[in-house]
Amino acid sequence: MTDPAQHEASPGAPVDVHQQLGVLTRQLHDSLNGLGLTAKVQNWAGELPDAKSRLSYIARLTGEAAEKVLNHVDQAKAQHEFIASETHRIGQLIVKDPVAAVAKGHVMNFIEDVDGATRKVDEHLTAIMMAQDFHDLTGQVIAKVVNLAATIEEQLLQLLIQTAPPDAVVKAPSAHEPYVPALDGPVVDATGNPDVVTDQSQVDDLLASLGF
Amino acid sequence: MSKELRFLIVDDFSTMRRIVRNLLKESGYGDADEAEDGVIALQKLRNGNFDFVVSDINMPNMNGFQLLGEIKKDDKLKHLPVLMVTAEARKEDIVMAAQQGAAGYIVKPFTKATLEDKVNNILVKVGLK
Repeated sequence: MTDPAQHEASPGAPVDVHQQLGVLTRQLHDSLNGLGLTAKVQNWAGELPDAKSRLSYIARLTGEAAEKVLNHVDQAKAQHEFIASETHRIGQLIVKDPVAAVAKGHVMNFIEDVDGATRKVDEHLTAIMMAQDFHDLTGQVIAKVVNLAATIEEQLLQLLIQTAPPDAVVKAPSAHEPYVPALDGPVVDATGNPDVVTDQSQVDDLLASLGF
Repeated sequence: MSKELRFLIVDDFSTMRRIVRNLLKESGYGDADEAEDGVIALQKLRNGNFDFVVSDINMPNMNGFQLLGEIKKDDKLKHLPVLMVTAEARKEDIVMAAQQGAAGYIVKPFTKATLEDKVNNILVKVGLK
């Protein structure tokens, strides 16, 4: 069994480890300060919640778009099935008795039903097309998050370069700069923000108040 | 027979250009061209006969505000109605667009009815309908 007195006196004893960790932490803190990185780390800490909020916005928008598309596809398929079954039914009626099919109004009713159903299918197709606007909206937000990740990556690499041993090889940050929208882009969370509008009616009201 | 109106749709996202183009077609405006930023839009406007511009704001090279400014200071183009269709929802952006001479402002996401309504109202206002 180990003698406690011996254990405390050894170089790897817990007390020494704590002291060494304390010294290392202090050195890291001083180094970060010396390199001017404390402010940058604070900036990252401030920007990450914003990135999280933007990613949540992307998840929400893509989820809603997928849901919308699937719902409209379901409804369009139902209309399509209706057209197919009605076409089959009217075909049988015409084969059986063409004169009666016309005289009893079956053909005319069929034409009206198909007209209505195709109109509805067209509306669903338009709605499916409109649901693709998430690509534009999320694309702008993704560009901002990518920019944040690139900035953090670049600064971490800079930190590595500045703190690496002289013989270490550290790859320099890439010079490629992606396009980042200069303006705000989509509002990911308008809660409590009186400076933004949340729907078209607010835009119209604002423009009307300006005399437009 | 009256001349068909010619639209220029300016947006850096091809998806959105296709959506706007299809919606305009469904509303009866089938003659449309596209540009992916303000620089290309300005070249096309100066080289072609357009009647209406539908423009995004947040774009590379030349954004929608800059494009609007260039259109309004060009004697040959300043009569063109410019409808902004954008995700920029700050009130100051809407006010700035109005002050720079935009004919209308739509925030994304929008509906087919909104686009159709704004385009028709603007066309009536400028005497093209």
